[in-house]
Amino acid sequence: MWKSILYKEWLKIRWFAIIYAALGVLVVGNIFLKVQHDFEFSQAANYWYSILFQGNRFYEYSLFKFLPLVGALVIAMAQYFPETVNKRIKLTFHLPLNENKALLVMMFFGAFCLLAIAAVIMLLFTLLSLAYFPAEIIQSALISVVPWFLCGFVVYFLTALIVLEPVWKYRFLYLLVAATFVPIYLQTAAAGAYSPALPLLIVFGVLLSVALLFSGYRFRKGEM
Amino acid sequence: MNAIECKNLTHYYDKKLVYENLNFSVKEGSILGLLGKNGTGKTTTINILNGFLQPQNGECLIYGENTQKLSPQNKARIGFLIEGHVQYAFMNIHQIEKFYSKFYPKWDNEPYWELLSKLQVSPKQKISTMSCGQRSQVALGLILAQDPDLLILDDFSMGLDPGYRRLFIDYLREYAKEKNKTIFTTSHIIQDMERLIDDLLIMDFNRVLAQRDVKSFMQEFKQFYLELENPTIDISNEDFVVNSEKVSNKLELYTYESEDTILNFLKNNGIAHKNFRQVEMGLEDAFIGLTGKY
Repeated sequence: MWKSILYKEWLKIRWFAIIYAALGVLVVGNIFLKVQHDFEFSQAANYWYSILFQGNRFYEYSLFKFLPLVGALVIAMAQYFPETVNKRIKLTFHLPLNENKALLVMMFFGAFCLLAIAAVIMLLFTLLSLAYFPAEIIQSALISVVPWFLCGFVVYFLTALIVLEPVWKYRFLYLLVAATFVPIYLQTAAAGAYSPALPLLIVFGVLLSVALLFSGYRFRKGEM
Repeated sequence: MNAIECKNLTHYYDKKLVYENLNFSVKEGSILGLLGKNGTGKTTTINILNGFLQPQNGECLIYGENTQKLSPQNKARIGFLIEGHVQYAFMNIHQIEKFYSKFYPKWDNEPYWELLSKLQVSPKQKISTMSCGQRSQVALGLILAQDPDLLILDDFSMGLDPGYRRLFIDYLREYAKEKNKTIFTTSHIIQDMERLIDDLLIMDFNRVLAQRDVKSFMQEFKQFYLELENPTIDISNEDFVVNSEKVSNKLELYTYESEDTILNFLKNNGIAHKNFRQVEMGLEDAFIGLTGKY
Protein backbone atom coordinates (compact mmCIF):
# COMPACT_ATOMS: atom_id res chain seq x y z
CA MET A 1 0.00 0.00 0.00
CA TRP A 2 2.72 2.45 0.95
CA LYS A 3 4.54 1.63 -2.27
CA SER A 4 1.40 2.71 -4.11
CA ILE A 5 1.51 6.09 -2.38
CA LEU A 6 5.14 6.47 -3.47
CA TYR A 7 4.10 5.50 -7.00
CA LYS A 8 1.43 8.23 -7.03
CA GLU A 9 3.87 10.84 -5.74
CA TRP A 10 6.50 9.81 -8.29
CA LEU A 11 4.00 10.13 -11.14
CA LYS A 12 3.34 13.73 -10.08
CA ILE A 13 6.91 14.92 -9.65
CA ARG A 14 9.04 12.72 -11.89
CA TRP A 15 9.63 15.18 -14.77
CA PHE A 16 10.21 18.10 -12.43
CA ALA A 17 12.64 16.07 -10.33
CA ILE A 18 14.56 14.93 -13.41
CA ILE A 19 14.75 18.49 -14.78
CA TYR A 20 15.90 19.82 -11.39
CA ALA A 21 18.63 17.15 -11.17
CA ALA A 22 19.73 17.82 -14.76
CA LEU A 23 19.88 21.57 -14.09
CA GLY A 24 21.97 20.93 -10.99
CA VAL A 25 24.45 18.86 -12.99
CA LEU A 26 24.59 21.58 -15.66
CA VAL A 27 25.30 24.25 -13.05
CA VAL A 28 28.16 22.20 -11.57
CA GLY A 29 29.48 21.63 -15.08
CA ASN A 30 29.31 25.33 -15.80
CA ILE A 31 31.20 26.21 -12.59
CA PHE A 32 34.04 23.83 -13.37
CA LEU A 33 34.28 24.85 -17.00
CA LYS A 34 35.03 28.33 -15.72
CA VAL A 35 37.43 26.97 -13.08
CA GLN A 36 39.25 25.00 -15.77
CA HIS A 37 39.38 28.13 -17.90
CA ASP A 38 40.92 30.15 -15.06
CA PHE A 39 43.40 27.38 -14.34
CA GLU A 40 44.52 27.39 -17.95
CA PHE A 41 45.11 31.10 -18.04
CA SER A 42 46.55 31.67 -14.53
CA GLN A 43 49.08 29.64 -12.63
CA ALA A 44 47.38 27.34 -10.11
CA ALA A 45 49.28 28.97 -7.25
CA ASN A 46 48.13 32.43 -8.33
CA TYR A 47 44.63 31.22 -8.75
CA TRP A 48 44.51 29.68 -5.26
CA TYR A 49 46.07 32.84 -3.84
CA SER A 50 43.37 34.97 -5.44
CA ILE A 51 40.70 32.65 -4.06
CA LEU A 52 42.18 32.82 -0.56
CA PHE A 53 42.52 36.57 -0.89
CA GLN A 54 38.81 36.76 -1.75
CA GLY A 55 37.87 34.72 1.32
CA ASN A 56 38.05 31.21 -0.10
CA ARG A 57 35.38 31.83 -2.71
CA PHE A 58 36.22 30.15 -5.92
CA TYR A 59 34.37 30.93 -9.05
CA GLU A 60 30.67 31.49 -8.74
CA TYR A 61 29.51 28.52 -6.79
CA SER A 62 26.84 31.06 -5.82
CA LEU A 63 25.22 29.88 -9.05
CA PHE A 64 23.81 27.28 -6.63
CA LYS A 65 22.18 29.85 -4.47
CA PHE A 66 18.64 29.82 -5.81
CA LEU A 67 18.66 26.45 -7.52
CA PRO A 68 17.54 24.37 -4.49
CA LEU A 69 14.89 26.97 -3.65
CA VAL A 70 13.40 26.90 -7.14
CA GLY A 71 13.75 23.11 -7.42
CA ALA A 72 12.00 22.56 -4.07
CA LEU A 73 9.27 25.05 -4.87
CA VAL A 74 8.53 23.38 -8.20
CA ILE A 75 8.57 19.86 -6.74
CA ALA A 76 6.32 20.86 -3.82
CA MET A 77 3.86 22.57 -6.17
CA ALA A 78 3.87 19.55 -8.50
CA GLN A 79 3.25 17.26 -5.57
CA TYR A 80 0.64 19.16 -3.53
CA PHE A 81 -1.19 21.45 -5.94
CA PRO A 82 -2.89 18.57 -7.83
CA GLU A 83 -4.18 17.34 -4.45
CA THR A 84 -6.01 20.61 -3.87
CA VAL A 85 -7.65 20.85 -7.30
CA ASN A 86 -11.28 19.83 -6.72
CA LYS A 87 -10.19 18.91 -3.17
CA ARG A 88 -8.59 15.77 -4.56
CA ILE A 89 -6.81 15.24 -1.25
CA LYS A 90 -10.11 13.68 -0.15
CA LEU A 91 -9.20 10.68 -2.29
CA THR A 92 -5.96 10.20 -0.37
CA PHE A 93 -7.67 10.66 2.99
CA HIS A 94 -10.28 8.10 2.01
CA LEU A 95 -7.69 5.41 1.27
CA PRO A 96 -7.62 2.66 3.90
CA LEU A 97 -4.64 4.23 5.64
CA ASN A 98 -4.07 6.46 8.62
CA GLU A 99 -4.46 9.98 7.19
CA ASN A 100 -1.47 11.47 9.03
CA LYS A 101 0.78 8.59 8.02
CA ALA A 102 -0.31 9.05 4.39
CA LEU A 103 0.65 12.75 4.52
CA LEU A 104 3.96 11.96 6.20
CA VAL A 105 4.83 9.36 3.57
CA MET A 106 4.04 11.90 0.84
CA MET A 107 6.24 14.45 2.58
CA PHE A 108 9.12 12.02 3.23
CA PHE A 109 9.08 10.97 -0.41
CA GLY A 110 9.28 14.57 -1.66
CA ALA A 111 12.02 15.37 0.86
CA PHE A 112 13.89 12.20 -0.05
CA CYS A 113 13.86 13.17 -3.74
CA LEU A 114 15.23 16.61 -2.85
CA LEU A 115 17.89 14.98 -0.68
CA ALA A 116 18.86 12.54 -3.43
CA ILE A 117 19.19 15.34 -5.99
CA ALA A 118 21.13 17.51 -3.53
CA ALA A 119 23.44 14.55 -2.80
CA VAL A 120 24.14 14.00 -6.50
CA ILE A 121 24.89 17.69 -7.06
CA MET A 122 27.04 18.04 -3.93
CA LEU A 123 28.94 14.83 -4.66
CA LEU A 124 29.69 15.93 -8.20
CA PHE A 125 30.71 19.35 -6.94
CA THR A 126 33.01 17.84 -4.29
CA LEU A 127 34.61 15.31 -6.65
CA LEU A 128 35.37 17.94 -9.30
CA SER A 129 36.65 20.34 -6.63
CA LEU A 130 39.12 17.70 -5.43
CA ALA A 131 40.78 17.84 -8.83
CA TYR A 132 41.55 21.55 -8.44
CA PHE A 133 41.57 22.64 -4.80
CA PRO A 134 42.89 21.73 -1.39
CA ALA A 135 40.51 20.37 1.24
CA GLU A 136 40.30 23.64 3.25
CA ILE A 137 38.89 25.57 0.30
CA ILE A 138 36.44 22.79 -0.54
CA GLN A 139 35.27 22.48 3.06
CA SER A 140 34.50 26.18 3.39
CA ALA A 141 32.77 26.14 0.01
CA LEU A 142 30.55 23.25 1.11
CA ILE A 143 29.66 25.00 4.36
CA SER A 144 28.55 27.99 2.28
CA VAL A 145 26.49 25.84 -0.08
CA VAL A 146 24.74 23.69 2.56
CA PRO A 147 22.36 26.43 3.84
CA TRP A 148 21.12 26.94 0.28
CA PHE A 149 20.23 23.28 0.04
CA LEU A 150 18.68 23.44 3.53
CA CYS A 151 16.70 26.38 2.19
CA GLY A 152 15.30 24.00 -0.43
CA PHE A 153 13.91 21.72 2.28
CA VAL A 154 12.45 24.65 4.24
CA VAL A 155 10.79 25.98 1.09
CA TYR A 156 9.45 22.50 0.32
CA PHE A 157 7.90 22.06 3.79
CA LEU A 158 6.45 25.58 3.85
CA THR A 159 5.00 25.18 0.34
CA ALA A 160 3.31 21.93 1.41
CA LEU A 161 1.85 23.71 4.45
CA ILE A 162 0.63 26.67 2.39
CA VAL A 163 -0.78 24.72 -0.54
CA LEU A 164 -2.70 22.21 1.60
CA GLU A 165 -4.06 24.90 3.95
CA PRO A 166 -7.80 25.24 3.24
CA VAL A 167 -8.23 28.85 4.45
CA TRP A 168 -6.77 31.70 2.41
CA LYS A 169 -6.09 34.03 5.36
CA TYR A 170 -3.94 31.32 6.96
CA ARG A 171 -2.15 30.85 3.68
CA PHE A 172 -1.15 34.53 3.76
CA LEU A 173 -0.03 34.15 7.37
CA TYR A 174 2.19 31.19 6.46
CA LEU A 175 3.53 33.16 3.47
CA LEU A 176 4.63 35.86 5.90
CA VAL A 177 6.37 33.21 8.01
CA ALA A 178 8.06 31.92 4.85
CA ALA A 179 9.12 35.43 3.82
CA THR A 180 10.69 35.90 7.25
CA PHE A 181 12.59 32.64 7.53
CA VAL A 182 13.62 31.73 4.00
CA PRO A 183 15.96 34.74 3.50
CA ILE A 184 17.93 33.65 6.60
CA TYR A 185 19.16 30.70 4.56
CA LEU A 186 20.15 32.91 1.66
CA GLN A 187 22.28 35.58 3.30
CA THR A 188 25.39 36.42 1.29
CA ALA A 189 28.19 35.71 3.71
CA ALA A 190 31.88 34.95 3.59
CA ALA A 191 32.74 31.33 2.85
CA GLY A 192 32.20 29.16 5.91
CA ALA A 193 30.45 31.96 7.80
CA TYR A 194 27.30 29.87 8.24
CA SER A 195 29.23 27.28 10.25
CA PRO A 196 27.95 28.24 13.75
CA ALA A 197 24.35 28.67 12.56
CA LEU A 198 24.05 25.40 10.65
CA PRO A 199 22.75 23.21 13.54
CA LEU A 200 19.98 25.71 14.27
CA LEU A 201 19.02 25.97 10.60
CA ILE A 202 18.84 22.17 10.40
CA VAL A 203 16.66 21.95 13.54
CA PHE A 204 14.27 24.55 12.12
CA GLY A 205 14.00 22.61 8.86
CA VAL A 206 13.28 19.35 10.69
CA LEU A 207 10.61 21.01 12.85
CA LEU A 208 8.92 22.38 9.74
CA SER A 209 8.80 18.94 8.15
CA VAL A 210 5.66 17.93 10.07
CA ALA A 211 3.87 21.26 9.58
CA LEU A 212 1.75 19.91 6.73
CA LEU A 213 -0.02 17.65 9.23
CA PHE A 214 -1.62 20.79 10.64
CA SER A 215 -3.06 21.80 7.26
CA GLY A 216 -4.22 18.21 6.70
CA TYR A 217 -5.97 18.16 10.08
CA ARG A 218 -7.69 21.47 9.40
CA PHE A 219 -8.87 20.19 6.01
CA ARG A 220 -10.32 17.04 7.57
CA LYS A 221 -12.22 19.07 10.16
CA GLY A 222 -13.89 20.99 7.35
CA GLU A 223 -12.24 24.41 7.86
CA MET A 224 -13.08 26.69 4.96
CA MET B 1 -28.67 -3.90 10.69
CA ASN B 2 -27.86 -0.32 9.72
CA ALA B 3 -24.85 0.48 7.59
CA ILE B 4 -25.18 4.19 8.42
CA GLU B 5 -26.68 5.75 11.49
CA CYS B 6 -26.69 9.51 12.08
CA LYS B 7 -27.93 10.81 15.39
CA ASN B 8 -28.86 14.37 16.36
CA LEU B 9 -26.72 15.98 13.68
CA THR B 10 -26.54 19.73 14.01
CA HIS B 11 -24.39 21.91 11.84
CA TYR B 12 -23.90 25.61 11.21
CA TYR B 13 -21.70 27.51 8.76
CA ASP B 14 -20.84 30.51 10.93
CA LYS B 15 -24.32 31.48 12.08
CA LYS B 16 -26.23 29.90 9.21
CA LEU B 17 -28.03 26.79 10.41
CA VAL B 18 -27.84 23.88 7.98
CA TYR B 19 -29.85 21.46 10.11
CA GLU B 20 -30.61 20.72 13.71
CA ASN B 21 -31.04 17.30 15.32
CA LEU B 22 -31.11 15.43 12.02
CA ASN B 23 -31.57 11.69 12.48
CA PHE B 24 -31.50 9.07 9.77
CA SER B 25 -30.25 5.59 9.12
CA VAL B 26 -29.54 3.45 6.07
CA LYS B 27 -30.28 -0.27 6.25
CA GLU B 28 -27.73 -2.69 4.90
CA GLY B 29 -28.58 -3.68 1.33
CA SER B 30 -30.76 -0.64 0.65
CA ILE B 31 -30.25 2.32 -1.69
CA LEU B 32 -31.06 5.64 -0.07
CA GLY B 33 -31.27 8.89 -2.02
CA LEU B 34 -30.72 12.17 -0.22
CA LEU B 35 -32.75 14.79 -2.07
CA GLY B 36 -32.92 18.48 -1.48
CA LYS B 37 -32.60 21.82 -3.17
CA ASN B 38 -29.22 23.53 -3.36
CA GLY B 39 -28.02 24.63 0.05
CA THR B 40 -30.12 22.26 2.13
CA GLY B 41 -27.12 20.28 3.35
CA LYS B 42 -26.62 17.37 0.97
CA THR B 43 -22.88 17.83 0.50
CA THR B 44 -22.53 18.77 4.17
CA THR B 45 -24.01 15.39 5.09
CA ILE B 46 -21.72 13.57 2.64
CA ASN B 47 -18.71 15.40 4.08
CA ILE B 48 -19.70 14.44 7.63
CA LEU B 49 -20.15 10.83 6.53
CA ASN B 50 -16.68 10.76 5.01
CA GLY B 51 -15.03 12.42 7.97
CA PHE B 52 -14.21 15.64 6.09
CA LEU B 53 -16.38 17.78 8.32
CA GLN B 54 -16.95 17.70 12.03
CA PRO B 55 -20.57 18.47 12.91
CA GLN B 56 -21.19 20.97 15.71
CA ASN B 57 -23.26 18.34 17.44
CA GLY B 58 -24.30 14.73 17.03
CA GLU B 59 -22.51 11.92 15.27
CA CYS B 60 -22.64 9.58 12.31
CA LEU B 61 -21.69 5.94 12.60
CA ILE B 62 -20.71 3.71 9.68
CA TYR B 63 -20.72 0.05 10.59
CA GLY B 64 -20.71 1.19 14.22
CA GLU B 65 -17.66 3.47 13.95
CA ASN B 66 -17.76 7.24 14.34
CA THR B 67 -17.10 8.74 10.90
CA GLN B 68 -14.64 11.22 12.38
CA LYS B 69 -12.36 8.33 13.32
CA LEU B 70 -12.88 5.64 10.71
CA SER B 71 -10.35 2.84 10.89
CA PRO B 72 -8.50 1.83 7.69
CA GLN B 73 -10.36 -1.51 7.77
CA ASN B 74 -13.69 0.27 7.78
CA LYS B 75 -12.61 2.73 5.07
CA ALA B 76 -11.77 -0.23 2.85
CA ARG B 77 -15.47 -1.20 3.06
CA ILE B 78 -16.61 2.20 1.77
CA GLY B 79 -16.51 3.29 -1.87
CA PHE B 80 -16.60 7.06 -2.23
CA LEU B 81 -17.49 9.01 -5.36
CA ILE B 82 -16.61 12.69 -5.09
CA GLU B 83 -18.91 15.26 -6.69
CA GLY B 84 -17.83 15.74 -10.32
CA HIS B 85 -16.27 12.23 -10.51
CA VAL B 86 -12.99 13.64 -9.29
CA GLN B 87 -10.04 11.28 -9.61
CA TYR B 88 -6.26 11.55 -9.95
CA ALA B 89 -6.27 13.30 -13.32
CA PHE B 90 -2.48 13.02 -13.72
CA MET B 91 -2.74 9.24 -14.00
CA ASN B 92 -3.78 7.25 -17.03
CA ILE B 93 -6.47 4.58 -16.78
CA HIS B 94 -3.93 1.77 -16.45
CA GLN B 95 -1.90 3.58 -13.76
CA ILE B 96 -4.94 4.46 -11.66
CA GLU B 97 -6.16 0.85 -11.64
CA LYS B 98 -2.68 -0.31 -10.63
CA PHE B 99 -2.57 2.36 -7.90
CA TYR B 100 -5.89 1.51 -6.23
CA SER B 101 -5.57 -2.26 -6.58
CA LYS B 102 -2.94 -2.42 -3.84
CA PHE B 103 -5.22 -0.89 -1.21
CA TYR B 104 -8.22 -3.18 -1.30
CA PRO B 105 -8.12 -6.86 -0.43
CA LYS B 106 -11.21 -7.70 -2.51
CA TRP B 107 -9.98 -5.82 -5.60
CA ASP B 108 -11.43 -7.26 -8.82
CA ASN B 109 -10.43 -5.37 -11.96
CA GLU B 110 -12.95 -7.12 -14.23
CA PRO B 111 -15.86 -4.66 -13.80
CA TYR B 112 -13.41 -1.76 -14.26
CA TRP B 113 -12.10 -2.96 -17.61
CA GLU B 114 -15.59 -4.08 -18.66
CA LEU B 115 -16.95 -0.57 -18.12
CA LEU B 116 -13.99 1.06 -19.83
CA SER B 117 -14.28 -1.26 -22.81
CA LYS B 118 -17.50 0.59 -23.62
CA LEU B 119 -15.51 3.84 -24.00
CA GLN B 120 -13.31 4.90 -26.86
CA VAL B 121 -10.20 5.21 -24.70
CA SER B 122 -6.77 3.58 -24.69
CA PRO B 123 -5.10 2.27 -21.49
CA LYS B 124 -2.51 5.03 -21.75
CA GLN B 125 -5.04 7.84 -21.98
CA LYS B 126 -4.69 10.32 -19.16
CA ILE B 127 -7.79 10.99 -17.10
CA SER B 128 -7.24 14.73 -17.50
CA THR B 129 -7.85 14.37 -21.27
CA MET B 130 -11.17 12.55 -20.86
CA SER B 131 -14.68 13.95 -21.06
CA CYS B 132 -16.78 14.23 -17.93
CA GLY B 133 -18.81 11.20 -19.02
CA GLN B 134 -15.71 9.09 -19.55
CA ARG B 135 -14.32 10.17 -16.18
CA SER B 136 -17.57 9.10 -14.56
CA GLN B 137 -17.08 5.60 -15.92
CA VAL B 138 -13.51 5.50 -14.63
CA ALA B 139 -14.67 6.60 -11.17
CA LEU B 140 -17.53 4.12 -11.15
CA GLY B 141 -15.32 1.30 -12.47
CA LEU B 142 -12.81 1.91 -9.68
CA ILE B 143 -15.53 1.76 -7.04
CA LEU B 144 -16.94 -1.46 -8.48
CA ALA B 145 -13.47 -3.01 -8.62
CA GLN B 146 -12.96 -2.07 -4.98
CA ASP B 147 -16.06 -4.16 -4.21
CA PRO B 148 -17.08 -2.07 -1.18
CA ASP B 149 -20.00 -2.94 1.10
CA LEU B 150 -21.19 0.67 1.18
CA LEU B 151 -21.08 3.19 -1.67
CA ILE B 152 -21.33 6.90 -0.91
CA LEU B 153 -21.98 8.85 -4.11
CA ASP B 154 -22.00 12.64 -4.09
CA ASP B 155 -24.08 14.01 -6.97
CA PHE B 156 -23.13 11.27 -9.41
CA SER B 157 -25.13 12.83 -12.25
CA MET B 158 -23.23 16.11 -12.31
CA GLY B 159 -21.93 16.91 -15.78
CA LEU B 160 -23.19 13.70 -17.38
CA ASP B 161 -25.24 13.56 -20.54
CA PRO B 162 -28.42 11.43 -20.48
CA GLY B 163 -26.72 8.37 -22.02
CA TYR B 164 -23.93 8.22 -19.46
CA ARG B 165 -26.41 8.88 -16.65
CA ARG B 166 -28.52 5.95 -17.75
CA LEU B 167 -25.42 3.73 -18.12
CA PHE B 168 -24.22 4.74 -14.68
CA ILE B 169 -27.56 4.11 -12.98
CA ASP B 170 -28.39 0.83 -14.66
CA TYR B 171 -24.96 -0.59 -14.00
CA LEU B 172 -25.01 0.61 -10.40
CA ARG B 173 -28.47 -0.69 -9.52
CA GLU B 174 -27.83 -4.10 -11.02
CA TYR B 175 -24.52 -4.35 -9.20
CA ALA B 176 -25.98 -3.23 -5.86
CA LYS B 177 -28.94 -5.57 -5.96
CA GLU B 178 -26.98 -8.55 -7.19
CA LYS B 179 -24.32 -8.18 -4.50
CA ASN B 180 -26.48 -6.79 -1.68
CA LYS B 181 -24.57 -3.51 -1.49
CA THR B 182 -25.70 -0.43 0.43
CA ILE B 183 -25.75 2.90 -1.39
CA PHE B 184 -26.10 6.40 0.01
CA THR B 185 -26.39 8.90 -2.80
CA THR B 186 -27.30 12.43 -3.73
CA SER B 187 -28.18 13.77 -7.14
CA HIS B 188 -29.66 17.03 -8.31
CA ILE B 189 -31.46 15.20 -11.12
CA ILE B 190 -34.41 13.59 -9.38
CA GLN B 191 -35.47 11.54 -12.43
CA ASP B 192 -32.22 9.60 -12.06
CA MET B 193 -33.04 8.76 -8.48
CA GLU B 194 -36.37 7.28 -9.46
CA ARG B 195 -34.63 4.47 -11.34
CA LEU B 196 -32.10 3.87 -8.61
CA ILE B 197 -33.24 4.31 -5.02
CA ASP B 198 -35.35 2.27 -2.60
CA ASP B 199 -35.62 4.87 0.15
CA LEU B 200 -35.55 8.63 0.15
CA LEU B 201 -34.67 11.38 2.54
CA ILE B 202 -35.94 14.76 1.37
CA MET B 203 -34.40 17.76 3.08
CA ASP B 204 -35.50 21.34 3.09
CA PHE B 205 -33.79 24.27 4.74
CA ASN B 206 -33.30 23.28 8.42
CA ARG B 207 -35.67 20.28 8.34
CA VAL B 208 -36.50 16.86 6.94
CA LEU B 209 -39.62 16.76 4.76
CA ALA B 210 -39.83 13.03 4.13
CA GLN B 211 -37.90 9.95 5.14
CA ARG B 212 -39.39 6.70 3.89
CA ASP B 213 -39.37 4.12 1.11
CA VAL B 214 -39.99 5.51 -2.37
CA LYS B 215 -42.84 3.13 -3.20
CA SER B 216 -45.06 4.07 -0.26
CA PHE B 217 -44.18 7.74 -0.67
CA MET B 218 -45.27 7.68 -4.32
CA GLN B 219 -48.48 5.87 -3.39
CA GLU B 220 -49.43 8.19 -0.55
CA PHE B 221 -48.25 11.57 -1.76
CA LYS B 222 -50.69 12.93 -4.30
CA GLN B 223 -51.30 15.88 -6.54
CA PHE B 224 -54.83 17.13 -7.29
CA TYR B 225 -55.77 19.72 -9.86
CA LEU B 226 -58.92 21.82 -9.70
CA GLU B 227 -60.28 25.11 -10.94
CA LEU B 228 -61.96 27.28 -8.34
CA GLU B 229 -65.12 29.21 -9.12
CA ASN B 230 -63.91 31.89 -6.74
CA PRO B 231 -60.16 32.42 -7.26
CA THR B 232 -59.78 34.41 -4.02
CA ILE B 233 -60.38 31.33 -1.86
CA ASP B 234 -57.20 30.22 -0.12
CA ILE B 235 -56.90 26.73 1.34
CA SER B 236 -53.11 26.59 1.51
CA ASN B 237 -53.14 26.76 5.31
CA GLU B 238 -55.37 23.74 5.82
CA ASP B 239 -53.74 20.90 7.77
CA PHE B 240 -54.01 18.37 4.97
CA VAL B 241 -52.31 20.64 2.42
CA VAL B 242 -48.59 19.90 2.22
CA ASN B 243 -48.07 22.43 -0.54
CA SER B 244 -50.14 24.25 -3.13
CA GLU B 245 -49.49 26.31 -6.23
CA LYS B 246 -52.19 28.66 -7.51
CA VAL B 247 -52.22 30.56 -10.81
CA SER B 248 -55.46 32.64 -11.08
CA ASN B 249 -58.19 30.04 -10.39
CA LYS B 250 -56.10 26.98 -11.24
CA LEU B 251 -54.97 25.17 -8.13
CA GLU B 252 -52.40 22.39 -7.74
CA LEU B 253 -52.77 20.72 -4.39
CA TYR B 254 -50.22 18.37 -2.82
CA THR B 255 -51.34 16.16 0.04
CA TYR B 256 -51.08 12.78 1.73
CA GLU B 257 -54.88 12.63 2.05
CA SER B 258 -57.20 10.63 -0.20
CA GLU B 259 -59.30 12.01 -3.05
CA ASP B 260 -62.48 11.45 -0.98
CA THR B 261 -61.13 13.48 1.91
CA ILE B 262 -60.33 16.42 -0.36
CA LEU B 263 -63.69 16.26 -2.14
CA ASN B 264 -65.53 16.08 1.21
CA PHE B 265 -63.60 19.08 2.46
CA LEU B 266 -64.47 21.09 -0.64
CA LYS B 267 -68.12 20.07 -0.38
CA ASN B 268 -68.44 20.67 3.37
CA ASN B 269 -66.93 24.14 3.02
CA GLY B 270 -69.02 25.07 -0.01
CA ILE B 271 -66.00 25.59 -2.24
CA ALA B 272 -67.31 25.50 -5.80
CA HIS B 273 -64.90 24.02 -8.30
CA LYS B 274 -64.65 22.18 -11.58
CA ASN B 275 -62.28 19.85 -13.48
CA PHE B 276 -61.12 18.17 -10.26
CA ARG B 277 -58.69 15.34 -10.97
CA GLN B 278 -55.71 13.51 -9.53
CA VAL B 279 -52.52 14.12 -11.49
CA GLU B 280 -50.03 11.30 -12.05
CA MET B 281 -46.64 12.22 -10.66
CA GLY B 282 -43.08 11.06 -11.16
CA LEU B 283 -40.56 11.41 -8.32
CA GLU B 284 -39.43 14.78 -9.66
CA ASP B 285 -43.01 16.12 -9.63
CA ALA B 286 -43.47 14.80 -6.11
CA PHE B 287 -40.19 16.38 -5.01
CA ILE B 288 -41.22 19.77 -6.41
CA GLY B 289 -44.68 19.31 -4.92
CA LEU B 290 -43.19 18.70 -1.52
CA THR B 291 -40.44 21.31 -1.53
CA GLY B 292 -42.11 23.97 -3.66
CA LYS B 293 -40.86 25.57 -6.84
CA TYR B 294 -38.89 28.29 -5.08
